[in-house]
Amino acid sequence: MSPQVIIAAVGALGFALITACFAIGTTIGDGLVSARAVEAIARQPEAQPNIMQFLIIGVGFVEANAFIALGLGLYLFFGVAEVPKVMTALLAAAGH
Amino acid sequence: MHEEIGGHALWHVPVLGTLHSDTILTTWLVMLVTLPFFAWVGASYHSAFINKRQTILEGLINYVADLANGTIGPKGEPFVPFFIALGVFIFVLNEFGTFPFKAFGLPFGGSPTADLNTAVAYAVMIFVVIQVSGIRKDGFAFYKHLLGPFWPHGQPLGKSILIGICNVPLVMINVLEEVLRPTTLAARLFFNIFVGELLLYVIVEIITAQIKIGSFDLSMAAAVMPFFLEIFNFLVGLLQAFVFVLLSIVYLSLALADEH
Repeated sequence: MSPQVIIAAVGALGFALITACFAIGTTIGDGLVSARAVEAIARQPEAQPNIMQFLIIGVGFVEANAFIALGLGLYLFFGVAEVPKVMTALLAAAGH
Repeated sequence: MHEEIGGHALWHVPVLGTLHSDTILTTWLVMLVTLPFFAWVGASYHSAFINKRQTILEGLINYVADLANGTIGPKGEPFVPFFIALGVFIFVLNEFGTFPFKAFGLPFGGSPTADLNTAVAYAVMIFVVIQVSGIRKDGFAFYKHLLGPFWPHGQPLGKSILIGICNVPLVMINVLEEVLRPTTLAARLFFNIFVGELLLYVIVEIITAQIKIGSFDLSMAAAVMPFFLEIFNFLVGLLQAFVFVLLSIVYLSLALADEH
């Protein structure tokens, strides 16, 4: 196996790990923010517009970290490991 | 037209080195659009009555002014125009990537905030504003807050020295925090806008690969996605411009807060 293939395999695995981790973390964070917002609205329905504003800001903060992770993961996938290029070369070598 | 990820058209300038020409040209274009607009709105403020032109932006200006005054206090009043200008400018820069100028072969186009240089420039500006306003408030005693949260108040000498030693590892954390704030500010803005464009790139890759799974045409199904992604990108651009301004106000309020 050439080094490029090993790097591409590890890169694909790393991309999968990054994606899974930020999906889990962001979902938990979003869930916490939304759950607290629903509780607050249930306690004080008249404060709903104010709470919605803070809910959107909070979700924005949580989602921003997910985007940073996704950006770095896609950089690993396309830039460092060059998975699509290696896969095309492998498929061409296998005669597909 | 083939696009490189994170690729930019370059200018080679003798003294400054290589510059990203598309980012600079787009920023100038946005300035050309926004400056006359704000001059037009601002020109109507000479009369004592509220007229139609002022009501365009009055809500936004009131909102940011309330935010700055509520967070910083009366000392936040001089910073309100700065924050309004920053927020509006970053918002327009974020949304400018929606227009397909580059696809027509024009030298400008794309969001300038999808370039790390732009985002870092604004974060450095916020950093400088915070340091300068802190020094203007307290002199160089402003940097006392780097020396740790614990201060000896009339304790005996041995205990005071012990408190001082406890502060030593915290000094590094304080300095790190001071540097990491603008870093995360820049990273948050840049990655949100950049990944928005990157997701479109990934969708284009899926469409051009013409993937078929049995009778299901995945590429055809993926062709619906850009429509929703653009709406999502618009909301993300609005939110990130707002979050940038909000965090700048919060960091400035920490620097301008009174000791107690």
